[in-house]
Amino acid sequence: MRYIFFALLGMGLIIPTANARPVSYPGGWTTMLMNDGDKNTAHVHFSPSVKYSIGYKFEYWRDREFTLHAIQVNSLVKRWNKKHSQANFYLKAGIGMAETKLDTIDSSSEAAGFIGIATDWEDRRYFVSYQNRYTKAGKLADFYQQSARVGWAPYVGDYGDLHTWLMLQVDHMPEAENNLTITPLVRLFKGVHMLEAGMNNRGEILFNYILRY
Amino acid sequence: MKIFLMALTICTFTMVFTSSVLATETQAIEENLPISNKVVEVSVNGLVCDFCARALEKVFGKEEAVNSIDVNLDTKVILITFNENKSLTNERITKLVVDSGYNVENIHRVE
Repeated sequence: MRYIFFALLGMGLIIPTANARPVSYPGGWTTMLMNDGDKNTAHVHFSPSVKYSIGYKFEYWRDREFTLHAIQVNSLVKRWNKKHSQANFYLKAGIGMAETKLDTIDSSSEAAGFIGIATDWEDRRYFVSYQNRYTKAGKLADFYQQSARVGWAPYVGDYGDLHTWLMLQVDHMPEAENNLTITPLVRLFKGVHMLEAGMNNRGEILFNYILRY
Repeated sequence: MKIFLMALTICTFTMVFTSSVLATETQAIEENLPISNKVVEVSVNGLVCDFCARALEKVFGKEEAVNSIDVNLDTKVILITFNENKSLTNERITKLVVDSGYNVENIHRVE
């Protein structure tokens, strides 16, 4: 069933519904450093237009003991601009190499790829998002993950102010032993900087930083 | 499975790059003669955060005719001030807003 879903997705036949800004303004660069209980990731991308971005993605999965280096393309399939809100639907895909820890005797590398969607809706007070991804890297990785967020801003600041969001993130990885993770977090957003910090239900830290320039 | 994944990835990349080429072609819009009005108020849909405002500042900031741009997230209005004897047509303003990722609701020229 999952394969049929992604086959449809790859062919663009899924009806768009809406994300978390993996595409910037024309000529814009974005650096995203994301850390949670499972992995550390870095993603640097450039947006030639508002419709898509292309960049480099690095991931280190600690428990699964592999690293991933990929070229990632993010495509804004559809945006809904309303007077007081915005919704987006993105397609994300990457292709590259995965390798096990370099310091082990059994270290090996495999061709890797991933594909997924991201969708969001937000106004200046509320935020909802969902994203998923299927990752395949030969014998090293074959898993599906999805996550959703809801957010609320306790106050609405002006342009240039420090913006604060209180959010709840739910991650689901069907193959994992602890397949459901819940992370309350705080998002701080000022100018070109966005910082997120939280702790999940297993006491693991989430720390994300995004710079847009 | 590998072939299947590869086919999916190729499909996705083809779709993304085709859409970008089409977008580039539609950007070939000739700018008309400037209309004289030093300040223009533009109501814009989709302005929900500072990143949105910054996108508009960056895109309009590249225009020679534009002296300054002020984005008000409360009213969803951007105020564009032009340089002396310079202006942008409504069509050009609309295109720049759309290129930034947003939609124009209306444009009001201030004397």
